[in-house]
This record gives sequence, structure tokens and C-alpha cells, in this order.
Amino acid sequence: MRQFLNERLPLSEFSAHLRKPLPKHINLLFSLGSLAMFLLLLQAATGAFLALYYSPSPEHAHNAVTYISEEVPFGAFVRGLHHWGASAMVIIVFLHLLRVVLYGSYKAPRELTWIFGVLLLLVVLGFGFTGYLLPWDEKAYWATVVGVEIASTAPVLGDFVAKVMRGGAEIGAVTLSRFYALHTIWLPWLAFGLVGVHLFFVRYYGSSGTPENTPEEMKTGKPFYPDQVFEDVVGMLILFAVLASVALFVPVPLEDVADPTNADYDPRPEWYFLFLFQLLKYFQGPFEIIGTFVIPTVGMVLLLLLPFLDKSEREVLWKRPLALTVTSVSVAGVVLLTILGASSPKLETQEASQSTEQTQDAATPDIETETVEEGEEVFDFQLTEEEIDGTGEAEEVFDFQLTEEELQ
Amino acid sequence: MAKKESRRSFLELATALIGGILSLAAGIPLIGFAISPAFKKPESKWVDLGLADRLKNSRFKKVDYTFMAKDGWVQATKKRSVYVTDAGNGEWSVFSRTCSHLGCLVRWDAQEESFLCPCHGAIFDKTGAVVAGPPPEPLQKLETKVEAGILYVKET
Repeated sequence: MRQFLNERLPLSEFSAHLRKPLPKHINLLFSLGSLAMFLLLLQAATGAFLALYYSPSPEHAHNAVTYISEEVPFGAFVRGLHHWGASAMVIIVFLHLLRVVLYGSYKAPRELTWIFGVLLLLVVLGFGFTGYLLPWDEKAYWATVVGVEIASTAPVLGDFVAKVMRGGAEIGAVTLSRFYALHTIWLPWLAFGLVGVHLFFVRYYGSSGTPENTPEEMKTGKPFYPDQVFEDVVGMLILFAVLASVALFVPVPLEDVADPTNADYDPRPEWYFLFLFQLLKYFQGPFEIIGTFVIPTVGMVLLLLLPFLDKSEREVLWKRPLALTVTSVSVAGVVLLTILGASSPKLETQEASQSTEQTQDAATPDIETETVEEGEEVFDFQLTEEEIDGTGEAEEVFDFQLTEEELQ
Repeated sequence: MAKKESRRSFLELATALIGGILSLAAGIPLIGFAISPAFKKPESKWVDLGLADRLKNSRFKKVDYTFMAKDGWVQATKKRSVYVTDAGNGEWSVFSRTCSHLGCLVRWDAQEESFLCPCHGAIFDKTGAVVAGPPPEPLQKLETKVEAGILYVKET
């Protein structure tokens, strides 16, 4: 078999390529890229299996996720791996980016490797954003409302982009199905394409190693396979053990089904978007766009162009004062905003205490859908509690819907 | 030799041209297919909130209501929530509870006489005007009418 393949494929060349030596000075931080790829594969695998039971419609999504968590054997574990894996992915990708900045690995000739890496970071955030609408719970709904509204503030095309994202004027069945398609088809294809190009550049230019490598030392280290691959695999094992433990012992949150009229809900995004959530509070009135569009866009463009902006000699970060300052301030800013966002108090109003009861009484299990046939008209009669029992100042509203036929 | 080169140049150009035509022929309908919902004009309709006499209130009253609307391929029951008052003098004010900043639902605080947003700290006064926080615009005031004793709001 081996001979058969050897005669048809350049396996020995491939094997020699895998065994090429790495730079002499390299450390554990150089495994972060492999860990990110491992998480991408784990997310793809768990996502593909979750899709066996999931149904992307407002009528069924929440029930499907509940079913996965409560009734399907290993369902809670698989969903836990996928949910916590997403958070792990954001952390690992961020640390990988910091490692590249720490050792100036983005500098020539590796600019393209960096650019494709930053594009992958955007795709990872896109996975997060499109993924957390899918359970169709309160958090899913409101985080998406806010996220899409942020896009709508972009100049000129903002409103159009928001409508395309929602698939209409508001979040509903079309939004859910297109977020599902983006999350499970478009973004994975894009991610694997970008990873392919990113890896091609990594292999083509070789590992950058730490800056202390002399040109002679760049090819005198341990071989990529099996030495480095073994270290990467051990890292994957540890990461999986941590993720599996979290998935086993920390239940994945699932809030009540999305309710566009729930007065008591204080919308908060996933932790990795909290810095943006907090940032938006500081730009008021006509300056709103600075928080929603200018800072995120300029930040991302600067990040993409970093190799062309930082032309200093390749050194470790603490020997590059300007880069060290910019990186420290940026990281500290994101961490501080995240902490402030996480600790921002819930809103207490006089009405909130009243409406707690209302929501419990009036909550409907899901957005009901009804096929109204041509010519059939629906009349809504709404009476407040006060009108029904003639007491107090309660403001609960009861809906009665009668069709034209019933009225006749 | 020069003839061969010009033939190859022509083949390169023709290949690129055919590639371009194929991309456009497939790409334009696909892009149109994906972005078409953005060009749909939202339907506006009058939705009844209930008997005007019974909704009369000098204070804001929260009213949740539903109506049928097309959501893609389904006729869905849409849920809305508004604050209603007639200020005690028959002049109806119906405010959408959707914050004009990023779409969270505002809450009326009777003590503060303000609408408060739980997301980014916006505060609106009882006329819907921005008092504090990020919103660039006031709360949306819905168009109203009273017919046959029933209060209607215009849904857009």
C-alpha cells in the first residue's frame, strides 16, 4: 500500500517537508496557532453534530436546543463543548495574536500571514455573533437586535447592511435562517479557506521563532514533525481536558424564549463583546457613530496594517517602546472596558417590579405563527386587567383574537 | 513568433473575459437573491390598541399588543409594546418602547418621570426627548387615530 501511494504521490517529499527543522529558539507560545486550529476543528465537529437536531425557525429553535440539552444522550456535553469552545477559541486566538505581537513575527516577509490571521480573527468574532442567535432565547434575540443596530449606524450603507443582515425590517424567521446559514456554511467555508492560505504562508516562510535567533539559527532547531507536533498534540489534550471538564460541570445557559416585549430583560452581549457594549455608553448624541463605527473600524484597519506601520527592527516587545505602549494601552483598555461592562448594574425601575408578574402571567412559549388564508381577517381586542375586574391600577393586557368567521 | 504571442495574448484575454462573464452571470442573481429583503418596503397598517375610553390615562400605561404580519414565508404574530397616555385631555401620545439608540426596550420610571434604557443608560423625558445617554434621536412617537371609539396606532 505504501509503495502504491509512493509511486503515485510525492509522499517522501511531503514527509521531508514535515521534518524540516524549526528555528533554534522557540517556545510553548508557538503552539497557540495549532491550538486555535484544533478548536476550529472541534467547533466544526460539534457544530456538525448539533445540526442533526437543530431547527432554525423561531417556532422550533428554542425547543430544539432544550431537547438537545435535556433529552439527547451526550447532548448537554456536545453543546457544552461547542459553547465553551467558542469562548476558548476567542481566548486562544487573542493570545496567539499577542504572541505574534510580542515577538514581532508579523514583520517582513510575513505581512500576508498576519493579514490573513487578522481576517481569521474577524471570522471567529463572526462565528460568535451569528452563533448566539441560534438558541433563540432572550440573550440571543436582544444581543442580535443591538448588534444589527450597531451595523445600521455605519455611514451611507449602514441601514442597508442592517436590513440585509436581518433579511428585512426586523429580526424574525428570515434572520434566524440566514444567521444559521452564515454560521454553518458561509463562515466555515471562509474560515477553512483563510486557514489554508494562512498555513500555506506559515509553511512557506517557516516559523518566525523568537527574535533572538540569528539567521544561521533559523534552521538548526528541532524538526516540526514529530517534535513540535508532539508538543502541539499534548497542548490539545490538555485544552480538551479543560473544555470537557467545563462542559461536564458547568451547564450552558439557556434563557427564556425570545420575547420582543419582555420589559424585564437587561440585554448583555457575550463576554467577548462586552468591551464594545461598554464603549458605546461614552459616545452620545451626534458622537454615537464614533463608538459604533469609527473606533471599531479604525482599530481593525490599524490592526490589519500593523506590519506596514511598524517598521522598527524585529525585537521582542519590551525592546520596542512604542509598540509596547500601544499594545499595553490597547489590551488594558479592552480588559478594563470588559470588566466595566460585566459589572454594569441592572436597571431597576418602579415599573420593572410590576412587570415581573406581568411577564410571568402573560409570557407565551414562543412566537406563534398562524397561516391566515386569503380574505381571512384577524381582529384584535385588547382589554386591560383593570377593565376586566375593575380593580387596581394593574396594566396587564390580555389579547383576544377572533377571526372574521368566528365573529359572524 | 510574434503571431504566436499575439494569439496567446488573445487566449489569455478571452479566458479572463469568459471568467468575468461567468462570474457576473452567476454572481448578480445570487447577490440579488441574498440582499433582496433590503429593498422590500415595509407595509404599514393600523393596529387597534383597544377601546379609547378605557385606555384614557393621564399617566403612561404600558400596552402590549399583537398583530399578524408576514415574516418571510410565515404569517407571524408580531408582538409590540408601547406606552400610551392621553395626558388627561384626549391628546393621545403613544411611544414605541424601542430605544432610538440600539433597539433595547425602555422602561417608564414613574418616580423619575423618565423612560430609562437598560442597555447603555439612555434617559428620555415624558415627551420622548433625550435627556441623557447616547441616543441621537428622541423616542419614536407612533401615529394614532381614534375610530368608532377604538384607538389605533400605525405600525410601519
